[in-house]
Amino acid sequence: MQLSWKDIPSVANANDMLDIVLNRTQRKTPTVIRPGFKITRIRAFYMRKVKFTAEGFTEKFNDLLQGFPNINDVHPFHRDLMDTLYEKNHYKISLAAISKAKTLIEQVSRDYNRLLKFGQSLYQCKQLKRAALGRMATIVKKLKDPLTYLEQVRQHLGRLPSIDPNTRTLLICGYPNVGKSSFLKCITKAEVEVQPYAFTTKSLYVGHFDYKYLRFQAIDTPGILDRPTEEMNNIEMQSIYAIAHLRSCVLYFMDLSEQCGFSIEAQVKLFHSIKPLFANKSVMIVMNKSDIIKYEDLDESKQESLKSLYDLKNIEIMNTSCVEEENVMQVRNQACEKLLASRIEQKLKGASRINNVLNKIHFAKPQSRDDVERPAHIPEGVQTLEKYDPLDPNRRKLAKDIELENGGAGVYNINLKEKYLLDDDEWKNDIMPEVLDGKNIYDFLDADIAAKLKALEEEEEKLENEGFYDSDEDLEPEDADDIREKAQWIRNKQKVMIEEGRNRKHMQNRAIMPRDQVKRSFDDMEEHMYSLGHDTSTLKQKQQLSAKPVKNAKGLDILKKTTDIDIDEHIKKRKRPNKQSDRLNDGLIDEDQQEKTDRLTKVQRRDRNRDAKVGEGDRHIMTMMPKHLFSGKRGIGKADRR
Amino acid sequence: MATRTQFENSNEVGVFSKLTNSYALVAVGGSENFYSAFEAELGDVIPIVHSTIAGTRIVGRMTAGNRRGLLVPTQTTDQELMHLRNSLPDTVKIQRVEERLSALGNVICCNDYVALVHPDIERETEELIADVLGVEVFRQTIAGNVLVGSYCSLSNQGGLVHPQTSIQDQDELSSLLQVPLVAGTVNRGSAVVGAGMVVNDWLAVTGSDTTAPENLVVESIFRLQNGKPDDISHNLRDTLIETYS
Repeated sequence: MQLSWKDIPSVANANDMLDIVLNRTQRKTPTVIRPGFKITRIRAFYMRKVKFTAEGFTEKFNDLLQGFPNINDVHPFHRDLMDTLYEKNHYKISLAAISKAKTLIEQVSRDYNRLLKFGQSLYQCKQLKRAALGRMATIVKKLKDPLTYLEQVRQHLGRLPSIDPNTRTLLICGYPNVGKSSFLKCITKAEVEVQPYAFTTKSLYVGHFDYKYLRFQAIDTPGILDRPTEEMNNIEMQSIYAIAHLRSCVLYFMDLSEQCGFSIEAQVKLFHSIKPLFANKSVMIVMNKSDIIKYEDLDESKQESLKSLYDLKNIEIMNTSCVEEENVMQVRNQACEKLLASRIEQKLKGASRINNVLNKIHFAKPQSRDDVERPAHIPEGVQTLEKYDPLDPNRRKLAKDIELENGGAGVYNINLKEKYLLDDDEWKNDIMPEVLDGKNIYDFLDADIAAKLKALEEEEEKLENEGFYDSDEDLEPEDADDIREKAQWIRNKQKVMIEEGRNRKHMQNRAIMPRDQVKRSFDDMEEHMYSLGHDTSTLKQKQQLSAKPVKNAKGLDILKKTTDIDIDEHIKKRKRPNKQSDRLNDGLIDEDQQEKTDRLTKVQRRDRNRDAKVGEGDRHIMTMMPKHLFSGKRGIGKADRR
Repeated sequence: MATRTQFENSNEVGVFSKLTNSYALVAVGGSENFYSAFEAELGDVIPIVHSTIAGTRIVGRMTAGNRRGLLVPTQTTDQELMHLRNSLPDTVKIQRVEERLSALGNVICCNDYVALVHPDIERETEELIADVLGVEVFRQTIAGNVLVGSYCSLSNQGGLVHPQTSIQDQDELSSLLQVPLVAGTVNRGSAVVGAGMVVNDWLAVTGSDTTAPENLVVESIFRLQNGKPDDISHNLRDTLIETYS
């Protein structure tokens, strides 16, 4: 939820807004148009202007409507605060007026665009545009009051203290001039004006402080007079709303010395009349100005009047003096404790919320699982180490300081080798080659690496000779062959699949034989089925059975069946179509003519071949002047070729 | 001591440094500010080493180590290894680990006695951890996260784990690690406690976003500056409930 509204864009007044938007239209749309232009162009020119202006206005209004908070969406405290400060209805009506103006302007733009579509001449179009802009200007001028009001609201809203209604809050309230502001000044760093007259504080002031590592906000409210809420002015109402809406610890301040100008009875009465607002809140009564007079020193009649307060349950009464800063912190701490206790009690009620926290406040103690001691290891130097204090002139010099002395970050280069722990300090900055005699130095860090390697190799050889590794062969599982066969099958299959995939890719953009045109033989099918792992023996039998016995067998068929001679071959040769013409030599009468045509073809191809063309259709143009052949430092006459 | 610092505007201190009881590794940065934050607290008690691992600055995530040793991933170059060897005392063993999960800092979380590791780490690596670091090794997850190094920071005196770790898990882990544990956050609510801070037995360094209550939890669980782990469920209870909910 938004708690402060410091970034609402500033609101220009009506005239300024008009200037801004019209100016922008003038600057950002074309300006030159002539009667001689095509009428469509003229229409488009003016339509653009009208649309652009309307857009400019709606944009501005949208910014306003989005920038200002919707008074119904904010926290009740802020809503009531805004209500008292800016008058809720006025605020709403102003924003509504803006919103209405936005729709009106959109409507005007739409209407005039429609009219402009039928504009007949430049003059007519121009007048329509003028009328549209004029109407928009009138609409905006009518917004004069809402705009000025909203600008004032914006300025005030931006300066409101950002009060979080849900955080830990101490609320300081009481009669005017009882020392509320001075208390706030004592416990926080807030700069509050403290003056010896009533209603010094006219609005809410917020200060922050830390207690138990938590951030608290303390709110100083304007003084309240004891009268019905209807009669209260805006200043008092702010206090009332703060008390009513904020989940807080209320500190009710009293002045027993009556220096504030209000009697003790009046102060007690006020407490009782605003008591209904304290429901579900922790309340403390603080008797301020204890340096002047204390409860014990009061005369009896006054003590009597305070008695009703002392009789109240759950309400603590404390004395304090802001002038002598006596008991101030105790009051603050007591109030914070009370607030925390009540908040935590409330939080522990919600089961889902507390489950999230329980594991974080649980501290898991280890149960010992063996007798091993696991002490911490803190070097002795730690205790004697002097604590580093950046303000101490004799402090240790850090790398940061050295860096600064040598030109700062980016200029100074640290020497990484400076802190090496070597046997001889002179070795520190030695340059180590990475590679020596073609060998990586770091592989030979160990001085006896060669000996170790040799020992390892010898051990290995010994093991091998002893037959340490032989036993492994026996370990081969029984079905190894089967596995191997399967693996081979898988590998082959993979290869086939890869090949098929390649073929498929290869066939891209090529004519493909339609499937139903491809002839497939029984053998193909059988092979395929076999490759898929089916048993094809029954299939074979079936085929043999279903194969039609040749009726009326002729001599040839019988011959075919009985002998192995491939008679088909002979038949096939003869079967070549006889009537196909030889197109190469078609239309040529004799060999002379054929020779002549051959020659001519060759001549025709000569040019083409010289240009390295693929064929007649090759229109490729090579690089006209290859750079490497036409540039160079050769002067004239040094070589023939150029 | 628990201090706060930043590495080049990043709060993830545990990414750019590694702190143990016998040495500290610090990434080479644009300036010496980060290094000096360690220097100011550690003085010359233990060596603080500028280093890179495999040319990167995320030394804290790439390495795992304790007082006795340091494990670096395979990608570590010979030069980097040599630099580390020269800079660290001879009592610290340095070992390159051939492990597929090469961000060792993310998958190993250890103190001087025990180590939690990623459940999928290789057997050889597990043995190396036990040998080089001299620790008992347990395959574990923290609040369902396999990256134990990222979600847990551990010293010999205590440990901070992922904020969503259930109480039961905390108790189990605590008995396994033999140190008190608490679930918590660093760097204003970040759950990656391993990457957000570094700690040894007398110093913790957290990111500069860390809030006061977070810092308090760190100080008490790691027994820094007279902190006691008991504080968490007693003195700090109210503060923690207020901050966490």
